[in-house]
Amino acid sequence: MEPLGESVMRTPHNGAVVQRRSKTRSYRRSYRSCLGTTSRLCLTPALTTRRLNASRRAVKPQTLTERVDPAHLALLVKSEWQLSYVTPLYQFRHTQLKSYSKQLSAFIVAERQQGLAVEVSELQNSYRVSLSVLQGLTESENDPETVLIQIHSKPLFAKQDEPQRSVWSGWLTCIQGSPEYLCSLSKDFTCLPLFGSRGPEYLSRVVKSWFQKTFDCCFGPLEINHTSLQWFVALWVDCHSQSNIQHLKMLWTVPAEPPLQIMYTVDPQDAWDLWNSVKKEEAAKEAEEVGCIELEEVSGYLEALKSHFYRHFRLDLSAGILTQVSTALGLAKDTGRIKMSNSRHVIATLTLLTECALLKMPI
Amino acid sequence: MSRLNPFAKLPGLNAASVLLVENEEHFQQSLAEALVKETSVTVNVRLAKSFPLPVENDESRPRIDLVVFIINLTSELSFQSAEASLKYLEPGYFLGKVCFMVSNARSSSVPAERLDAVRRLAASLHCPLLFAEDQTQQGVTNAAERLLTILKVAAGFVPFTTSLCLSNLTRSTLPPDIDQPSFD
Repeated sequence: MEPLGESVMRTPHNGAVVQRRSKTRSYRRSYRSCLGTTSRLCLTPALTTRRLNASRRAVKPQTLTERVDPAHLALLVKSEWQLSYVTPLYQFRHTQLKSYSKQLSAFIVAERQQGLAVEVSELQNSYRVSLSVLQGLTESENDPETVLIQIHSKPLFAKQDEPQRSVWSGWLTCIQGSPEYLCSLSKDFTCLPLFGSRGPEYLSRVVKSWFQKTFDCCFGPLEINHTSLQWFVALWVDCHSQSNIQHLKMLWTVPAEPPLQIMYTVDPQDAWDLWNSVKKEEAAKEAEEVGCIELEEVSGYLEALKSHFYRHFRLDLSAGILTQVSTALGLAKDTGRIKMSNSRHVIATLTLLTECALLKMPI
Repeated sequence: MSRLNPFAKLPGLNAASVLLVENEEHFQQSLAEALVKETSVTVNVRLAKSFPLPVENDESRPRIDLVVFIINLTSELSFQSAEASLKYLEPGYFLGKVCFMVSNARSSSVPAERLDAVRRLAASLHCPLLFAEDQTQQGVTNAAERLLTILKVAAGFVPFTTSLCLSNLTRSTLPPDIDQPSFD
């Protein structure tokens, strides 16, 4: 058990033996167990589990500047990313990124000639693709390194020496993915389940189809469901003591006639006080639970916020859907968009999202 | 607290009565319209938001053969209201005269825990759990057909089959890994 001073967010050890473990030995066996579990309606994979962790370690902010290139970090935090999940990539080598860049630019050119990757308003001259490794983000030794993809281009009527602008960027990452799952994959597969992209839709489509053709993987939309949004609320409010969250805003959609959208803004100090009152007493917890946030605390916190709203407005927010959560540390939408505004909490956000992606993946 | 009793009244001639209980009162309208189209029996559809039912209708209400709880998974309130309504039913109803119908199960904003909770509830009460799609006309028609099958048995129109017998065949069971612990 690592000392408490360590600033890592590690999913805590569960003493109970997982019966499923016997099924995670080989790829073939997992396929057979997939066939047996067809009765479930939701996309619950057979290898990975059905639901997110019930408790997680509280976030310690980490200054990543000594581990990660500041330019890369600035790129990660400045914009909103659209998320997808990716199935494991076959024979992806981190050493061959240069040749992958060339192949991807050739593919984009080919698609443009076929008329698939063109938008009428933006006639770019040429695309230059660069794939690079974003060193330093990963926490455990099982995680493959994050890959950053950038597409630069020059506008059609640009001067010779004008620098190329980045028109599209994306990244593939796996932060603290389940070690059980990662070890059960065969050696040829690299698991980078979380894909974030920013930029024109046609370029995202081209990049995804290139990856699908080259590495035999599947991309799919990753929506952030209600429980994950609740976790974001709890994790961000929990960080208020270290970095001021400035506000806690939640957007609810209530099925009234006409449909009502409610933006519920909470003052940061009030949110912090409420969070402290909901969390269990530190002294009462076991030694290894201190610093852990339980799911009951999270749902209790949301219940408290909803009942406060009900007391004032007589409107029960349980009848509605939570669509967006935002603080100064980040923004999360249920359509699968995330913005990480504070570089110190990037790891925590990405860990939660990696777990969501692993859960949603069909394998 | 007056509970709904399944055997307190006499059944109507060639008639079956179903009670649709839904907190949002949205899907039950279209479902009711699809149900009354049935011609071989007279189907009485009664709609309610939640229990307890209004006392003033007690006299005029026919014998309810099937109670259907419609739960919309995108809102937590739906499930809580259905759960709270259960205690207003006599235990005799749970021998095959109660059915759960769930809509919006495929929506991405629905956490898996909510569906698990509904499954556990249905399995503990030995009731069938149906999944319905309420956005399209075809979905509503399909849901109505499945409900009619169960309703006809519950009202006694199928010879040699009682609702208790059918409930043994259709009751929902929990998937074996519903208590799967999360990642360690």
